[in-house]
Amino acid sequence: MSLSVNQPSRRAFLRHTGLGLGGVALSSMLYRDLLADNGTAPSGLTHFAPRAKSVIWLFMIGGASHLESFDPKPALNQYAGKAFVETPYGNVLDSPFLENERVVAFDPNNGFVRKTCYPLQVGFKKRGESGLEISDWWPHVGDCADDLCLIRSMWTEDSNHGAQLQFHTGRHRIDGFFPTIGAWATYGLGSLNDNLPEFVVMGTPLADCCGGQEAHRANYLGPQYDGIPLQVDPENSMPYLAPEQEVFAEEQQQQFGLLEQLNQFTAEQHPDDQAIRARIRAYELAFRMQTTVPEVVDLQQETETTRRAYGLDQEETKTFGQQMLTARRLVERGVRFVQVYHGNNGGAGNWDAHGNLKSNHTKMCRQVDQPIGALLKDLKQRGLLDETLVVWATEFGRTPGTQGSNGRDHHPYGFTVWMAGGGIKGGIAHGATDELGFHAVENRHYVTDVHATVLHQLGLDARRLVIPGRQRLERDFGHPIHEIMA
Amino acid sequence: METRAPISFALALAIVLAGLVNAGRAVDYEHEIKPLLAAKCTSCHGALAQESGLRLDAGSLIRAGGDTGPVVVPGTAEASLLVQRLTAEDPAERMPPEGEGEPLDTEQIALVAAWINQGAPYPADELAPADPTKHWAYQTLVRPAAPTINDPQWSHPIDAFIAQEHQDLGLEPVEVADGTTLLRRLYLDLIGLPPTPEQQLAFEAENTPEAWTDEVNSLLDNPHYGERWGRHWMDVWRYSDWSGYKKDVRNSQKHIWRWRDWIINSLNADKGYDRMILEMLAGDELAPNDPEVLPATGFLARNYRNNNRDMWLDATVEHSAKAFLGLTINCARCHDHKYDPIPQPEYYQFRAIFEPHKLRMDQLPEQPDTEQDGIPRAYDADLQAETYLYVGGNEKHPDKDHPMTPAIPAVLGGQLEISPVALNVDTYFPALLPHAAEAQLAEARNALAAAKQELAAAKTESATDESNTEEASSDKKPADLRTLELNQTAALLALRSLEARQAADRAKHGLGEAGGSEGETDLQHVAQAAAAAEAQFKAQAAVVSVRKQELALLAAEQSDEKDTQKKQQAIAEAKQLLDEAWQKLTEAQNNLANAKDKYTPVGTEYPHTSSGRRLALARWITARENPLTARVAVNHIWLRHFGAPLVDNVFDFGLRSPRPRHADLLDWLAVELMENNWSMKHLHRLIVTSRVWQLASATGDHIVNLEIDPDNHYLWRTNVRRLEAEIVRDNVMAVAGQLDLSLGGADIDYLQGETSPRRSIYLRHAYEKQMTMLVQFDAASPNECYRRSESIIPQQALALINSSLSLGQSRLLARQLREKVADTEQELPSFVEAAFRQILARPPAEQELSLCLEFLAKQSATLAETDSLTIFRGGSEAAVKPATDPLQRAQENLVHVLMNHNDFVTVR
Repeated sequence: MSLSVNQPSRRAFLRHTGLGLGGVALSSMLYRDLLADNGTAPSGLTHFAPRAKSVIWLFMIGGASHLESFDPKPALNQYAGKAFVETPYGNVLDSPFLENERVVAFDPNNGFVRKTCYPLQVGFKKRGESGLEISDWWPHVGDCADDLCLIRSMWTEDSNHGAQLQFHTGRHRIDGFFPTIGAWATYGLGSLNDNLPEFVVMGTPLADCCGGQEAHRANYLGPQYDGIPLQVDPENSMPYLAPEQEVFAEEQQQQFGLLEQLNQFTAEQHPDDQAIRARIRAYELAFRMQTTVPEVVDLQQETETTRRAYGLDQEETKTFGQQMLTARRLVERGVRFVQVYHGNNGGAGNWDAHGNLKSNHTKMCRQVDQPIGALLKDLKQRGLLDETLVVWATEFGRTPGTQGSNGRDHHPYGFTVWMAGGGIKGGIAHGATDELGFHAVENRHYVTDVHATVLHQLGLDARRLVIPGRQRLERDFGHPIHEIMA
Repeated sequence: METRAPISFALALAIVLAGLVNAGRAVDYEHEIKPLLAAKCTSCHGALAQESGLRLDAGSLIRAGGDTGPVVVPGTAEASLLVQRLTAEDPAERMPPEGEGEPLDTEQIALVAAWINQGAPYPADELAPADPTKHWAYQTLVRPAAPTINDPQWSHPIDAFIAQEHQDLGLEPVEVADGTTLLRRLYLDLIGLPPTPEQQLAFEAENTPEAWTDEVNSLLDNPHYGERWGRHWMDVWRYSDWSGYKKDVRNSQKHIWRWRDWIINSLNADKGYDRMILEMLAGDELAPNDPEVLPATGFLARNYRNNNRDMWLDATVEHSAKAFLGLTINCARCHDHKYDPIPQPEYYQFRAIFEPHKLRMDQLPEQPDTEQDGIPRAYDADLQAETYLYVGGNEKHPDKDHPMTPAIPAVLGGQLEISPVALNVDTYFPALLPHAAEAQLAEARNALAAAKQELAAAKTESATDESNTEEASSDKKPADLRTLELNQTAALLALRSLEARQAADRAKHGLGEAGGSEGETDLQHVAQAAAAAEAQFKAQAAVVSVRKQELALLAAEQSDEKDTQKKQQAIAEAKQLLDEAWQKLTEAQNNLANAKDKYTPVGTEYPHTSSGRRLALARWITARENPLTARVAVNHIWLRHFGAPLVDNVFDFGLRSPRPRHADLLDWLAVELMENNWSMKHLHRLIVTSRVWQLASATGDHIVNLEIDPDNHYLWRTNVRRLEAEIVRDNVMAVAGQLDLSLGGADIDYLQGETSPRRSIYLRHAYEKQMTMLVQFDAASPNECYRRSESIIPQQALALINSSLSLGQSRLLARQLREKVADTEQELPSFVEAAFRQILARPPAEQELSLCLEFLAKQSATLAETDSLTIFRGGSEAAVKPATDPLQRAQENLVHVLMNHNDFVTVR
């Protein structure tokens, strides 16, 4: 696979915008270019050969159970109803890993270690040639087992839903807001296309409690690297994307024409003004986005077979299916990073199954399983899976112990995420939790290891992404998980 | 006898590798060893701290060793303590210690070993890093002499400093900008609004130094100056309206806009910057009873976190230090500061200054309901509150054996002179303030009137009912007259109780009726009266409650519930409640008989003194001797006049900020500020009357400047800047003559940003509550924004092209301009000319004029054939309809284009 990720050089841009410039002005501009080439801003070049050019990042809000999804633990069935201390594995409660928990605000109801084994609420099957064990709530994703790399040894710090933000920034909610993985990726790489934003967000974002919009913002990298929310609705896909009623397309087009002429005239008067050249380009992109954005969310262009495969014909799967199909259309058009949230309920999130885990997860998995499965198959069939890294994640897992009579509590000590495509080995499970699914014990990974891996596959070294004056902690960089790379 | 630890595997491996390095080449101390030690070792073994007496930040110091002797044996790596400690297998021995940094990897150790094997050479002229207390920003401010410049054009003191640098570097500054450009720059800089065409023409007609001074003075006297610069300071001081879930406040406070108005008013009054700091940090200690001053403590109230006192105080510490001192004391929360001489305990000593304070909402005379309005303000709530150092910054591990006393970082000199502040009764018992007491009485009187009214209405109704047929009222249960009578008495007794308690509290706090000298007996007497009145009310309330429960039991017994079990259960519950009511009544009656002098006070009694800690801090911050305060303030002001600061990191003047290029100018301005009563208007005036501020922004033919100073660090021209988000939005309405220029008031819902004509500073600004358009133009993050960014993104283009705001305003403006030029000869050129003047505050160039005229012709022709045009797939109904006349509509389009012009959002 050969991927070229150069962004057009400034000189190329000058040719593109066709500024007619006299000798002196031109020389001063070229002089600036030479200087800029030695600057510290990212060049848009990767640090090493990339394995992927786009990322689709799926985030389940509320904490999907690793135990009922991708990390089966027969011991929980064997010792159902027994206290952990009555099992051979009672020592999970003495582990030093418990110290990793950081609490912002004590919640009297949730966020506790539950100490009595709650049996698995769903069966598992070995799937694909690899025989990866995946639960019966994930049949479609299970069909793609040979493309999946399960990472069963994640851990995080926050035992409450601030962990949602933490999963995206690598920092505990108490530390404040920081650039997110999507922002770092787009900051490091720049755009692959001239018609769409680089970092697109779908689904209702996190609720205010848990980080809100900050989970797809760029913070100190600047708003040009913020994720741009997109609704899968051709009539209303983005703020200010269309004017109020009664504006003619031709009318507006001629306005853009005049604007470009006037701005270019001014640019000639101020050849050393970088901003005006960037603004001309921003207007060009804005003008195209008015057409390209509604086009990309117009799923009528897809065949009936495709639409059905993504579940657009069924009430439960329609919303997420539309987002998955749009995600494919976005990466096809060169969008770098597509972040999709599932499960916003204005608070902790819909996956937060403190009670009725069985009915809750049956319903939640039903909403996303078929669309995700369709996405993986569709990408593969189109030859896009090689260059698209799909990440499925959630803020934490759920306790092996019972909460109430039929639920599981928050569980930051061990949980699963998975990756597929983008140069990641398929059909493997990496890392492991203990026999109860309590602590990640083998190949433990903090959330920034996922970030580092994503960046690595994109050809970026997390450690080289630093901004002068902005201290990054050692742990912020994470470690790429080389064992899972193909 | 000496024992030596066996050589570890890592050491052995490192030595093998070191051999390889040895064989190949000489290790470069400057580029390989020094940076490695700086990254891994010198925060504990360097200029800031010398653990075990060892420094590793210079070759000579490494060779000198530490308390236990040499750490390096040149030529023999394995005998060197340095290598042994880097490779120790015992985690307690190995350096760096666990949790204080990643261990060195084998290759890095091999490098160190190879360097030692090669004799541990270092350059003879290497200097050991200087004593951090000598850092430029920590030195007391002394006014430097302004350089003598022969050129009279550069004689202004600011210009003299800059001109000297130009001469030294061989820079050739560009000329002063033309008057038209300058006037717009000045208006936007000082008030954030553009000059009108009339103002432009008047200034162009008389562009003299005197006219310039007049403009400057008049703009500094303009109340919109307070809004323009208020927003800047709101960035630095982290203004945020309250945020939370539904009605629960999670961050900041309700009505904090009163602090915003205090900022605006203070700036307009040219209150000294020192006084502003005093009032913001300690207004409640400085002027405890002054409602004009108390809102200033919104600076503290803004840090509120509903469920975490540590985060609340962490934010208070971090941002007080960053905003006023340019000090990142927050880096010392978990460990000693890595760069600055601030040991960890000093973080907690700084926190101890704020430990006693909390927040309360003062009632306003005109609004008793503090949900509706009030003054959120700070006060010292707990003078005994202890501050503990958190070991490793972990709040789970407070060091309770060593409580922290309040103090400021020692490196900055001076000390806190804390004297407690005695408060008067109005402050510590505000419920007795006339308006507060009257509000309570009014509430009780209203309750009594309502009870009377209810009884009277019920009596009338029951009289009517008796005369009517029984069916008429069968579906509605008649009010129980007896209950209402009892209730009326209770309301009367509640009023009497309140009056008696107010009297007792007044007596207790020395506010008794004039003439009476409050002796012990009198106090006793009024307290007994209050206790008795309260007991009477409570007994009556208990009677009412019994009556209600009796009726409830009766209802349960008579209910037509079919399910016997349910019915019996309801009856049992009602009996239980009735029993409880009886029990309470018995208790109340016993109290009535035994009432002594214990009564419920009519309000909260707050501490009678304030610790004085915050006032002491504020006085230390604003002392002439404080090396940082004035420098930091001048830097913020300079940044917002020039688009670039004098010290790059505006919130960190610590050791990571090297001495700035224009250090003398910074110091000169800082002293100038302090010696002119900290008057910010004085500084603004000085700056905008300097030549350097007035330079053109265009590079012109000065290629030499680009070679010497491409980033314009030395101000040989003016930096081109983009308008801030708020000013972009304000200007769209301002040029259309639609901006509502009224000052102050409660925050406006951010969702009304498209329709409200008020200036953007008044729109709600909080976490997740910000107008989209403002966010897209880099509005301040409500959490922290010491410096705005200036991004250029397509969403900004979309907002100015497609927003209802810009479309509507451009149509309104086009109408006005058409009227304005209606009687001129050259109507269309005049229109274009007027539009440029109005929107861009300059006339069009010839080429621009012809482009616009061509556009009008072409666009009106296009719009004449609407049937052949494609309507844009649009959103909501147009707030202001486009014109039906094709030419007028084309003119609207032109105005709209100019609002999207690069130079509309740009200051040249």
